Amino acid sequence: MGYVIRIRPKPVKPLAVVLAPVASFALAFIVGGLLMVWAGVDPVSGYTAFVQGSLTTFPGFMQTLVQATLFMLMATGIAISNRAGVLNVGAEGQYIVGAILATYVAVELQQTLHPALVVVLAMLLAAIGGALWALIPGVLRGYMNVNEVVTTVILNWLAYRVLQWIIRGPLRLPGPQLYPMSPPITATLPVLEPSSGLNAGLIVAVALAVFSYLMLFNTEIGFKIRVTGSNPDLARYAGFGVERVVVLSMSYSGALAGIAGGVEVLGNLHYLFEGISIGLGYTSIIVSLVARDHPLGVIAASIMFGTIYSGSSFLQTATHLTYTFSKALEGLIYLFVLVTTLFAFYEIKLVKVS
Amino acid sequence: MSSRECQAIVEMRGIVKRFPGVVANDHVDLKICRGEVLAILGENGAGKTTLMNVLYGLYLPDEGEIYVKGRRVSHRSPRDAIENGIGMVHQHFTLVDDLTVAENVVLGAEKFRVFYDLEKLAREIDEFMRTIGLYVDPLKKAHELSAGEKQKVEILKALYRKVEVLILDEPTSVLSPIEVRELFKTVRNLKSTGISVVFISHKLDEVMEIADRIVVMRGGKVVGELARHEATKQLLATLMIGSRAVNIEEKFGKRVRPAGKLLEVVDLWVKGDRGEDSLKAVNLVVRKGEIVGIAGVAGSGQRELAEAIYGLRPAWRGRILLEGKDITRAHTVERIKMGVSLIPEDRLRYGVAAELPVYENIYLEKVHLEGRKSLLDRVGLRVLDKRGMVDYAKKVVEKFSVKTPSVFTNAGKLSGGNIQRLIVGRELERKPLLVIADEPTAGLDIAATNFVRKTIVEMSEAGAGVLLISSDLQEVLELSDKVVILCNGEVMGVFRPGELSMEEIGLLMSCAKRMSKEEVERAWGT
Repeated sequence: MGYVIRIRPKPVKPLAVVLAPVASFALAFIVGGLLMVWAGVDPVSGYTAFVQGSLTTFPGFMQTLVQATLFMLMATGIAISNRAGVLNVGAEGQYIVGAILATYVAVELQQTLHPALVVVLAMLLAAIGGALWALIPGVLRGYMNVNEVVTTVILNWLAYRVLQWIIRGPLRLPGPQLYPMSPPITATLPVLEPSSGLNAGLIVAVALAVFSYLMLFNTEIGFKIRVTGSNPDLARYAGFGVERVVVLSMSYSGALAGIAGGVEVLGNLHYLFEGISIGLGYTSIIVSLVARDHPLGVIAASIMFGTIYSGSSFLQTATHLTYTFSKALEGLIYLFVLVTTLFAFYEIKLVKVS
Repeated sequence: MSSRECQAIVEMRGIVKRFPGVVANDHVDLKICRGEVLAILGENGAGKTTLMNVLYGLYLPDEGEIYVKGRRVSHRSPRDAIENGIGMVHQHFTLVDDLTVAENVVLGAEKFRVFYDLEKLAREIDEFMRTIGLYVDPLKKAHELSAGEKQKVEILKALYRKVEVLILDEPTSVLSPIEVRELFKTVRNLKSTGISVVFISHKLDEVMEIADRIVVMRGGKVVGELARHEATKQLLATLMIGSRAVNIEEKFGKRVRPAGKLLEVVDLWVKGDRGEDSLKAVNLVVRKGEIVGIAGVAGSGQRELAEAIYGLRPAWRGRILLEGKDITRAHTVERIKMGVSLIPEDRLRYGVAAELPVYENIYLEKVHLEGRKSLLDRVGLRVLDKRGMVDYAKKVVEKFSVKTPSVFTNAGKLSGGNIQRLIVGRELERKPLLVIADEPTAGLDIAATNFVRKTIVEMSEAGAGVLLISSDLQEVLELSDKVVILCNGEVMGVFRPGELSMEEIGLLMSCAKRMSKEEVERAWGT
């Protein structure tokens, strides 16, 4: 017997779906503007840089899409597990595991096999790795009712430690380096736009979001996921095998995060290092929240978050603001978006569980 | 009590409460007199509970005024209402499971204390209960209490706060006949000490028995106000239902000869939620075309029996056979596919997925009944036939008169009575072989109750077996071919309706008497 905070989508008017995020942006920008004034930067030029670096210029928008790709993959997965009533806070760890396995496959096989085949195998293994990493908390939650938030966070740290070890050990690029990293990956994802490095990952992400949408609302398993998330007792009563639904949706969530890891190393970086883990998996939880756990909404929300990300990065380049300032601004926007959408879209209740 | 003697303690004038799409209270005037039992009678959705929630401060009225002892008040929360001497006990209890009775009674009524002497507190509460004449062991934890005891604690909570008006919302819906009698005794007791009791109900018999004055509501308005001696059941029913002609004493005569064995339960032992033996060596037979009624005091193992047969609760000893096939260890899915359906007692828990539309809630278990042809079907990616689902749902909604704006409305928006109709429709429309109906008419109005009873009888006439579990003894006796009495998880007796007197049945229900093995076997044999 204990209490849990249950967060559930509540019905809202279509206008509010657009208005709430917009309003939260406006609020965050006002506060951010005040911060800029305080830091001695003209907010108008600051925000001009922000928008140029993310939306109004071609390279800026490409950068936004590169970032949106990762959010899209992870948030889609999180949305699906949320729909089943499981909160996957472990996307970050699953993403790391995906990145490690993709790098490993690529580095091991790129000399001997055709690059296309290597890419396919690497992405596949990234997905499987992410899925298995999520399977652990999934099984613990589904069959033993162990809180998935705790286990996923623990596994995130474990994944990060494994990453630190692997780039200093088995996947280390020999010779003196600025920081520990893996050998370069030559079998890379097809590039769509060379200057930004926008790659086929985006196509994969959009396709998976659309597939997830169709699966969720039009297939038997999607139906079971939604019933389980809405009322697990009812799902058990209807003979849905709640345990399996929980494990399955968690693994699916992990697979998508794993693929995001694969896209990051095979598409964007072309090598593996500690810096791949910058908390995108956590941010993706907010992305899926803003999208109200709707896979098509995730596409839009990801682009929105990609904008924030690349906008605030460019802000730092264009003004004399520091990296930490731009990160603080980014965090501020996330915070506003999170709080606004949480209260606008969700019903928050303390419920008793036995 | 005639209006001449009425000393009004509460007066509500012109109360209007609107919810999106409905006017729950439409200019309602209501007077509560000192020391009376006032019944507010009406069907589901008539606005009874809303009106009292307004008085109790849970809802702010859109229009209207409330006077307590002649003083205009505005109740913005239950705290305000309690301060003005008005308490309310809801259908769903609000006790803290892990706290003792004594702690639950004082919780919130006194200043927050970090440390207190539980035994001293228990002694105080013990004394308090004795002066009131309503007793529950003060050191028992709330989760150990029966529904009747929980209700007593809720009443005690209100009385501890020195209320002068006590509102009881459908208080008998969770009680066994014996507990109802006790509750009525309590109500009369309270009345004699000058406390006014407001009794919200849709049950004519109870209202006729307990009330001094009866206010009838329909469609958010007061449509009648009578002293008890002026009221007859037929008159009240007409007021309650309006022009719709409904025979309140409708009988459901029988029909067909039961055929071969459909369900056989042999020496079944099942554990309850706290590991206790909820069912002990239960034997049971339901034949095709037969209605077997299960009666007993609430908590005698009825729910566990239903869950065990449906596969939600494991049997640790014994066997369950369906058409001769052993299903003791079969998953619920297998049982659903074999044609078992359950109308669950706990509608809050097993009722509906609130965020999903009505049509998906009606489709629910039918997802198992569709063929799996291609590989995609087998991995769970079978594409759902939405049009078929919607058409089917429309049929169920119409047939079982579920009131909903459309089948695309979220099920959570439906009222309790309509959710119940949805469940009954969902479980009966898929043409099951065996229906386990656990309290199928609890909380339904007269018309809906008659409809559900008729449907159950029709199903059995069409060859289905029915296990009817109900705390409404009259319902069990009227509908069943055979009646099984459970007490403390054991079968105390099996008989045909009419074979035993109410006194004998009462003895069986309270474990005071047990029929002999031969008598039970004879009853099963026929």
